[in-house]
Amino acid sequence: MTACADVIIIGSGVIGSSAAYYLAQKGRSVIVLEKNEVIGNGGSSRNGGGVRQSGRDKRELPFIMHAVKHIWPTLSEELGMDVEYYQKGNLRLGKNEDHARILTGLTNSASACGLDVSMISGEEARQICPYLSEEVTVASWCPTDGHANPMLTTLAYYKRARQLGVRFVSGDGVIGIRKLRGVARQVITESGAVYEGERIILAAGYESRAIAATCGIDVPMTRALLEVLVTEAQPPMFYQMLGTAMADFYGHQSTHGSFVFGGSSGFEDTNKDNGTPTASSITASCICRGIIKYFPILENAKIVRTWAGWIDQCADHVPVVSFVEEVPGLILACGFSGHGFGISPAMGLTLAEMAAQESTTIGIDALRYDRFKAKI
Amino acid sequence: MKRYDLIVVGAGPAGLSAAIEAAKRGLSVVVFDENAKPGGQLFKQIHKFFGSKEHKAKIRGFKIGEELLEEASGAGVEVVLNAVVTGLYLDKEVVVKLGGEIVHYKGDAVIVATGASENMVTFDGWTLPGVIGAGAAQTMMNLHHIQPGSKILMLGSGNVGLVVSFQLLQAGCEVVALVDAAPRIGGYGVHAAKIARCGVPFYLSHTIIKADGDNRVTGVTIGEVDQTWSVIPGTEKQFEVDTICLAVGLSPMSQLLKMAGCAMEENPGKGGLVPVCGEFGETSVPGLFVAGDVSGIEEASSAMIEGRVAGAAAARRLGFMEETELGARLEELETALSSLRQGMFAPRNKGKTPIHTDEGCPISSNLLKKGYLTDDEVPAYPGVKSVKGIHPVIECTQNIPCNPCQDACPKQCIKIGANITALPAVDENSVCIGCGMCVAACSGQSIFLVDEDAGEGCASIVIPYEFVPLPAPGQRGIALDRSGAELCPAEVVSVKSAQAFDHTNLLTMKVPREMGMRARFFKLPKEVRA
Amino acid sequence: MSRINDRSRPLGQFVPLPDDDRIICRCEEITKGEIRRAVHDGMFTLTEVRRYLRTGMGLCQGQTCARLVRDIVARELGVSPLELEAAASRAPMRPVEMKILANETKGAD
Repeated sequence: MTACADVIIIGSGVIGSSAAYYLAQKGRSVIVLEKNEVIGNGGSSRNGGGVRQSGRDKRELPFIMHAVKHIWPTLSEELGMDVEYYQKGNLRLGKNEDHARILTGLTNSASACGLDVSMISGEEARQICPYLSEEVTVASWCPTDGHANPMLTTLAYYKRARQLGVRFVSGDGVIGIRKLRGVARQVITESGAVYEGERIILAAGYESRAIAATCGIDVPMTRALLEVLVTEAQPPMFYQMLGTAMADFYGHQSTHGSFVFGGSSGFEDTNKDNGTPTASSITASCICRGIIKYFPILENAKIVRTWAGWIDQCADHVPVVSFVEEVPGLILACGFSGHGFGISPAMGLTLAEMAAQESTTIGIDALRYDRFKAKI
Repeated sequence: MKRYDLIVVGAGPAGLSAAIEAAKRGLSVVVFDENAKPGGQLFKQIHKFFGSKEHKAKIRGFKIGEELLEEASGAGVEVVLNAVVTGLYLDKEVVVKLGGEIVHYKGDAVIVATGASENMVTFDGWTLPGVIGAGAAQTMMNLHHIQPGSKILMLGSGNVGLVVSFQLLQAGCEVVALVDAAPRIGGYGVHAAKIARCGVPFYLSHTIIKADGDNRVTGVTIGEVDQTWSVIPGTEKQFEVDTICLAVGLSPMSQLLKMAGCAMEENPGKGGLVPVCGEFGETSVPGLFVAGDVSGIEEASSAMIEGRVAGAAAARRLGFMEETELGARLEELETALSSLRQGMFAPRNKGKTPIHTDEGCPISSNLLKKGYLTDDEVPAYPGVKSVKGIHPVIECTQNIPCNPCQDACPKQCIKIGANITALPAVDENSVCIGCGMCVAACSGQSIFLVDEDAGEGCASIVIPYEFVPLPAPGQRGIALDRSGAELCPAEVVSVKSAQAFDHTNLLTMKVPREMGMRARFFKLPKEVRA
Repeated sequence: MSRINDRSRPLGQFVPLPDDDRIICRCEEITKGEIRRAVHDGMFTLTEVRRYLRTGMGLCQGQTCARLVRDIVARELGVSPLELEAAASRAPMRPVEMKILANETKGAD
């Protein structure tokens, strides 16, 4: 049996779900296919929740700046559910000359793109967030950055899209995209179901690579296992998004009071797993050491959970959001490289425009799938 | 990284048994337990265990704990306490919180024996202070010597609910009612009979409607349920209590195994989420074993054997044991385990209600509903024979795996035979000398010595008695029948407390002759008790 | 059991129940009504309910309420509780202070 819709979206993460929502708003019929049993169970539920413009590649900046300006501030109202968005700024912290150099480089390139980010001293940083350790000597500061709850944002898009009539089918993995008369039309799943649409959006994280291969397209990416940890609820302390020059950790305090931190141990590219995104035995400890150096006040906060998730790491660490001329009907949205959450509203909007054959609000040329060239 | 041949998580009966078995074969073994004391639940168990003599029957739980610890230390097992296993990672890496630090260990084999946690039920007011788990009640009484409350309602008629109710009575609390939504008592009839004869009423097919009280429990309302578990209007009953104790089952604490990536299954017969196990308790992760409640809720006696099996299997896997040696040992253990898994309460018989025992005796429906045998039902069982002179009356009427009474009798009056679940039969041709060893040996306190014609128109009855204060010879009181109803005046003839009785005192009381087969408990008059 | 879940299948109207305000998850103070409502909002798995409402995310990590939540969700979905996969188990099994988690003595004797 074939189920038809205007658009078939592969992947129910925050990108797929937001695209579904914006398409439904435009009155398009949409089916979202999710391999996992759980909606948004990939990177969408395993990230630090940053909605930050600073520190981004300039190709992503138009998307995040648009989202921060036009979508995030009213997203909770729009979706009818609190996504816990705070626009209280982003502090990226450093402790030495090397850090200062990195931060200055990022700040300069972002300023050149019109972002309100500046370098500040340790003292100034402590005025913004009095809990910082004395070791912090330098920071970049972007007051219009913020954070939100990634799990709730994903579920809010899902919930609203579902209410608008989007059909979500979970637990049935896509095994291939089939072209009919030269055009990508059908999506085949493990159970043998066939879904047919005018447009197919491939937003399945790292899994997108194998699925794209079924119609002869490759996106150069690998997957890396990142970890997140969360503390028990703490009294309200501060609501800035935090990060460091070396990206040892990043995170924030949530509405609930718990602190959510993402981070790494340095072995992300070579971490072992058992087929599921398994936390490593050393990463959480490493993240805690990183945090305590910057926030000694949190040393007695109890960690209640740690979890890991794969990100789809693109060759140049910038997403692919692109039509594929060789395969008409196919739209790629993958390789988000761990930067997908903050830009997800703008990406969903853009993908909806692409699938609806409208001109896009934000230019997408820099995110093309065929931009990867050999180095010489 | 620090490495052991075998790392055991949990120093309860299963974990310690596994560790002992493996250490005896030469493995280096460490056991981590998050508690300050080892033994798991054993040290809360002040009652005598069921089972066979070879497997610790008639020994009190805490004593078994002491014996296991001694055996473990003799075998060279390292038991580390206050050691919280925070995670079980790839390559059988066990991460432990020890004091103020996190320590990483690896085991060539790992046995998880983390036990179970108590289930909860909800009703209006279930979050009020005064609603507690039966395990908590046991901890308060038996480890910390604190009464959990003064007037208590127990929900749950499984063995935990029954045993803890009896312990509450022993601790001097009043148990106002024992309630269960099921139509039949879930635990052993002998456990139910122990508390019924103390006067605790049973309310089967009843549930808690609400706990009363603003800041803490001051009362409880129960009601009868129909077949769809809905409360039948008009059946509400109210009790003044300060504590509601919940004994509504256990769930395996299998989180570590799920985290470790073991294939898991929801298995209602095993109490919840358990790892899928191959032979000898090995999970889908090679070298990672489970034993005890974490692999399926059962009794501590089975947990200890499962532990031994897993320990032996781990020893074999690591080459500390030959295949033939393992085979012989496993055969021994499997036989013991399967003998414990026989009878009415065997895992495979869960949910079934037999009408007859294996011997063809009718199962008392009164016992299943009210917790005691009626006078008419008693003579139907092979342990009850009308014999001249003093003789044992064994009111053991269900096929449960237990046989210490058989060996307790120096005169071979009591026969069970090779089948451990058979009902004990009294041999009329053997002569009872009234030593009382069988009375003290019966973990179910279901054996009485009765002389239906002790002279002067009286019958004498020896009952097991585990309450304080102990009545003194000559004291007069009231004899209670099996339902706990006051029957007739009674006089204490003697109270024996020999070491061999292991704290089960033998109280001999004198009652009018016609009450010899009816009186089963002794109560001091109110003014004396106060 | 098929793991395929069509989230557009009808669940029927949400019908308020008299015990909807009973607290089920004590750590996070989530009521039965909130859990039932979440199912109607599309939260068809225990993991989604957890993320949506925070059930089982508190200090006890679901030790007390996991079964209770599962039974409520199953009833609302009209499936057996056994069909619902338990939410993932996460380290640490017990809450651990950051300074302790940070203090590793890996490899030390």
